[in-house]
Amino acid sequence: MSLLEVDDIEVRYGAIRALKGISFHVEEGEVVALLGANGAGKTTTQKTVSGMMRPSLGEIRFDGERIDGLPAHDLINLGICHVPEGRRVFPLMSVAENLEMGAFRFKRPDPQLLARCFEMFPRLKEREHQYAGTLSGGEQQMLAIARALMGKPRLLLLDEPSMGLAPLIVRQIFDIVREINSTGVTVLIVEQNAAQALGLANRGYVLETGEMVLSGTGKELLADDRIRAAYLGEEITT
Amino acid sequence: MKRRSVEAEARIENLKRFGACLAGGFVLALMVGTQEGTQQDFGYAFRQSVAMPRILIFLGIGVLLYLAITFGPRAKPYLTRPGLRPLGAGVLTVIISLTLLKWTDSPQINTGKFRPLADAAAPTQALDSLARLWFGSAFSQTAWLLLIIVTVLAAAGMIRRSAPLSYAAAILAGVLGIWAEYASAAVSKFLHYPSHATGGAVAMLGFFTIAVASLVSARSQAAEADTDGFIDRVLGWRPGLALVVLGFAVGLVGVFNAAWFSPGDRNATLSTTASMFGATNLNGFAQTYLDWLGFVLFFVTLVVAGVASYLRHRLLAYAAIVLGLVSTLLTLVVVHDFSALGGKQGFDGAQGAWDNLGTGAWMTCAALSLFAGAGYLVLKDLRIEAKGVRAGSDIVGSGTAGARGQVAAATMLVVIIAALFYPPTATEFWQTVLVSEIGIYVLLAIGLNVVVGWAGLLDLGFIAFYAIGSYTTAYFTGRLPVQPPDWLLLSPLACIPFAIAACLIAGVALGFPTLRLRGDYLAIVTLGFGEIIRVIANNANGFTNGPRGAFNIPAPQIHLGPIHLTWGDSALGFWYLLLVLIAIIVLLFNRLENSRLGRAWAAIREDEVAAQATGINTRNVKLLAFAIGASTSGVAGVFFASQVGSFTPENFVLNNSILVVAYVVFGGMGSLPGAMAGAAVLTWLPEFLKDQVPAEDRQMWIGALILVMMIFRPAGLIPARRRKAELSGLDRPSSAEATAVPAGEGM
Repeated sequence: MSLLEVDDIEVRYGAIRALKGISFHVEEGEVVALLGANGAGKTTTQKTVSGMMRPSLGEIRFDGERIDGLPAHDLINLGICHVPEGRRVFPLMSVAENLEMGAFRFKRPDPQLLARCFEMFPRLKEREHQYAGTLSGGEQQMLAIARALMGKPRLLLLDEPSMGLAPLIVRQIFDIVREINSTGVTVLIVEQNAAQALGLANRGYVLETGEMVLSGTGKELLADDRIRAAYLGEEITT
Repeated sequence: MKRRSVEAEARIENLKRFGACLAGGFVLALMVGTQEGTQQDFGYAFRQSVAMPRILIFLGIGVLLYLAITFGPRAKPYLTRPGLRPLGAGVLTVIISLTLLKWTDSPQINTGKFRPLADAAAPTQALDSLARLWFGSAFSQTAWLLLIIVTVLAAAGMIRRSAPLSYAAAILAGVLGIWAEYASAAVSKFLHYPSHATGGAVAMLGFFTIAVASLVSARSQAAEADTDGFIDRVLGWRPGLALVVLGFAVGLVGVFNAAWFSPGDRNATLSTTASMFGATNLNGFAQTYLDWLGFVLFFVTLVVAGVASYLRHRLLAYAAIVLGLVSTLLTLVVVHDFSALGGKQGFDGAQGAWDNLGTGAWMTCAALSLFAGAGYLVLKDLRIEAKGVRAGSDIVGSGTAGARGQVAAATMLVVIIAALFYPPTATEFWQTVLVSEIGIYVLLAIGLNVVVGWAGLLDLGFIAFYAIGSYTTAYFTGRLPVQPPDWLLLSPLACIPFAIAACLIAGVALGFPTLRLRGDYLAIVTLGFGEIIRVIANNANGFTNGPRGAFNIPAPQIHLGPIHLTWGDSALGFWYLLLVLIAIIVLLFNRLENSRLGRAWAAIREDEVAAQATGINTRNVKLLAFAIGASTSGVAGVFFASQVGSFTPENFVLNNSILVVAYVVFGGMGSLPGAMAGAAVLTWLPEFLKDQVPAEDRQMWIGALILVMMIFRPAGLIPARRRKAELSGLDRPSSAEATAVPAGEGM
């Protein structure tokens, strides 16, 4: 049984069908990448999985239980933690307070976990009492990830963690994601940076205007001509 | 286009500034100008305001302002001298006392302000000569001359950094302060009128401020003022001492000078009261208190509190608290006893218990409570220190954060004590204002602060819940066309749970469908809700009695075993009831901000999507904010209905909702003390201005104040920590530790 099974879901924004029946699955311990251009429906897929949107058709199962239609705060209690697009830290809370908010589902934050997060992100330790709004973009992304980790995820949803960051920092972030995955957290990552994401992912899916057009292991997709043309900017000479 | 040179730019800037200053003077001329027009001549007021010699004065003010702005930087080294700002504050206080405040309430003196009083007092031979000199004999209005002399002396001491001059100024200012209060008291005694006027006391306070400023200047080694450092050193050093000094000043006047009992025109001080009751059968204890025990208690408590504060001694601090509170209670008992006896004996029309009292007893009570407060501060200080030591850090107790906490605690104590003991000394007018304006709106602001300040939901229909609370009270006391069953007819205070329930239901009913809206959309829906409630109240004749409203709502009563309390005649009783309600609600809400719920609200306010992503049930949490705010408003409604006795739908117009929002914003969104202070100041101000400016001008002056606030203190009177950070652009770190990290070091 897969950890997450998405079965033919359709999601609408009013009359517009953003997802036109897509299916995929994520196995326990995997890193799975969702790729696609702007407007392909990657973020919508993630929002639907994390409970911020409801599918109008189809089923989502987590651990074999149906979760489609459950609100976000219930899904967090199942261990689905979402790092939303654009980082979205609480700018007027200190770094420490942000991390505490991440553990909101528990009565009080786990001090060991907090120590682990600071170990993983030494930058955040340095800025523990600074307002999150004063951090640089990369630091904010790290904070957003650390905040999600404070909720003890089984499945971590990352929405474009590389957005707007310098290449060096993007590499750091992806290293951290790999590290998180190695501790047993399953990761579903949405990316436009296909090369980085596929280098990391066990498997990948490619979305185009709300439909699933390709799937395969990371290596297969990296080798696929269409992917190389669309996302890696290489010209195909035939 | 030719590029302008830097000098040309600067010149144009300068010209613009000059123009703006002149325009400011012009506007000021219009603001303080005569406002009367006639039906035939609409331009009359305008022409009067800008008439030739008059306008020149105001334009002159504009020019002065321009000069101050332009050459201010050059004068800066002088302006930052230690003590100069307190000196300014002191001089301003004295000027306010001499121009705006009443010096007597006696109807014999037109308006009761300083100037007419001085004109009347100076030629009065029968008046005490020392007091007469204050009001002016050789020169007209000696007080003004003396103020100028002491100001010049103090300023000279500061600018030339000469200690002897400063000491001289300090001594002179101290003498003048006592003189002012003495003259004011002499006048009250002469006029035989129990006076509630604050002029003399405020003048004394102002002169004492000047004295302290001069002392600071004389003692200070530094070339530049360091207000934060000063606060740290003085209040961080011995936090209770400030309260002891304040209590000493207030208590001295209370024990020796102010009237304790004033049936008719007697104005008897403590010792005179003692002799008044000497021949009567006043019970032994009260007589002893009046004879000598009162003085002894005051001085013993003073000494104990002073020593406890100075030595930071735990046992003495407890002693000060116990002594202070017990002697406050004893004082109240004695006041009750002698005023009741005085009423029974019919001294010059004395009416009974708690009647015909002067200010003395209340000032003494305030002083004794201040001493108890000083003891409390000492204990708090010791606790902070112990915590700091345990944490292995030596900065917690004595550092800025500790001192700030102590300043806040001391201020809070002073406010509480003033709320307890000032109202009985106020005139009936101000007592009414305290209850029906200040108190009720403070309660409403506390409620709205939960919704607007903490959860960040703009609610423009807040007054609707107030209306629901009022109508619930009217219903359960049987004053609406529809009657509850007989067994459910309640006394007003027993309506509180029902009003809370009604408001909770209304809050959820409004919130459930609308809370998915954000920002402006939510504001418009709530605005509509407020209007719907008002229109229903106005039109549902059979249920709400329509535009005639509800009337004859009984005043609250409490009958609990041996305790029988009834309200009704005096505003004062309602004030204490209101104080209890406010205290309960503040205690309940105090912990809310930093609770789990409070953090959830903060998260939603800052970023709703992120809040959702961290597992907050945003809908329920927002509903809870709505419901809590609404029920506070409902409690205010119950109080309002039973206090005024009758109300109509006109009491719940949109304007009131907007006012409450304005109070919360003015005070500091998201800060509980801020919201309360904002409501208090903005409800007090219009009433205060009644005496100062023509009625038509009041709103304009309030508008001017709000404008100035928006420019200089955009986060509000007492800003919340987060909101302050938001408006100062996040550049300040949230705690001192963070400064260890170099700023701007990005990744």
